[in-house]
Amino acid sequence: MENTKNILKNWPFHLVICVVVLLCEAVNTISIPVSTGSIMFLPMLFAMVVSLILYLTKPVKIVKKEQSVLSSKFVIIAIGIFLAKVAVTSGTQLPQVLAAGPALILQEFGNLGTIILALPFALLLGFKREAVGMTHSICREPNVGYIASKYGLDSPEGRGVMTVYVVGTLVGTIFMGIMASALGATGLLHPYALAMACGVGSGSMMAASSASLVSAFPEMAEQITAYAGTSNVLSNADGIVMTVFIGLPMCNFLYRKLEPLFSRKKKA
Amino acid sequence: MEKKLTMDKVAEFVLILAISAVISLIGNTINTITDGNPDTFVSILDGLPGMLILFAIAIVSTLLNAVFPKIPTIIYITFIGIILGMPYSPTGAYVAEQVNKIGLLPSVTPVLAYAGVSMGKDWLEFKKIGWRGIVVAIFVMIGTYVGSALIAQIILSAQGII
Repeated sequence: MENTKNILKNWPFHLVICVVVLLCEAVNTISIPVSTGSIMFLPMLFAMVVSLILYLTKPVKIVKKEQSVLSSKFVIIAIGIFLAKVAVTSGTQLPQVLAAGPALILQEFGNLGTIILALPFALLLGFKREAVGMTHSICREPNVGYIASKYGLDSPEGRGVMTVYVVGTLVGTIFMGIMASALGATGLLHPYALAMACGVGSGSMMAASSASLVSAFPEMAEQITAYAGTSNVLSNADGIVMTVFIGLPMCNFLYRKLEPLFSRKKKA
Repeated sequence: MEKKLTMDKVAEFVLILAISAVISLIGNTINTITDGNPDTFVSILDGLPGMLILFAIAIVSTLLNAVFPKIPTIIYITFIGIILGMPYSPTGAYVAEQVNKIGLLPSVTPVLAYAGVSMGKDWLEFKKIGWRGIVVAIFVMIGTYVGSALIAQIILSAQGII
């Protein structure tokens, strides 16, 4: 019962987390009004930043490397509670989800937007083969695994995919949360469309982005949750297929077309 | 391929989910107090059945994944959650009513609090990534998000849903 004992003997650490969560819930959502809507800063994002600061600055002695390793397990398993909430909401909204089926399935091709937007930028900043690893997909665990098996993690492509993976893990949640409500505030895209896009990345990214949409558009809370959740499930199911058959080949093709343009510009 | 499940693993999953569920449940109550709307107040006791349902879905799915790891946990969770919550199901009305008392936001706050601590050990690696890498990563996220939202917008408008 080694794992169990390890969790139990860390009870003061769980108490610290509990206090952080309750304080952040007490502060509640801070919304900053902009001309067309509001940008939301959620308790979950405060909680993440506060606990990161607790680790880095060590004002509480019990938040150390050992607790950090234990926390990784909590993240993977405890997100099940949130995913269950999303799943039940998707169930209550099942007729609407089925009606929106075509949009939910086709928006999966949206990750190709990554290649079109980010590949030229990466080349402009001087990246070579790293750029393919960085921009072929949103670089979550399955994509890292695929790139690792195809090129190896020590290759330029492997370093590229790891760079975006690490940045995505550390700032992706906060960034996606703020981006979703900022785009919602512009009013250019419908909250349902933004909700479907929330599912593109990891579970925490989906949590932050869909929750900030829910706070901005509370009257559409259930549909937003259901669309975001279904889209995340679809991404989980087809993400790697998309990468293997479309994303990576297309990224490599564009790289061959674009790279000479950028390297010529540099020499001139 | 089946995997063997040890007592230690089962107890570990139950503990992790139970600790997180308890923190979420208290957080949910506090969130309904500080959201400024007295009509939506949910006491810990009111929220308990909903949280127990979420806990049950999560633990069953986590254990299923531990025994049959070919299918990811999120697929089990989604399948069970939809079956329990859908309007055609006999449990639909009760499950929907109880789970509705647990807010979407409080259900994930503890996870992100743990995530902050978990990030701590990767912080040095993050600091090694130059600004160029961070800029590209941001564009990767924007590209995927906006790309998906644009396609969804076009199809939803074509279908007349929005």
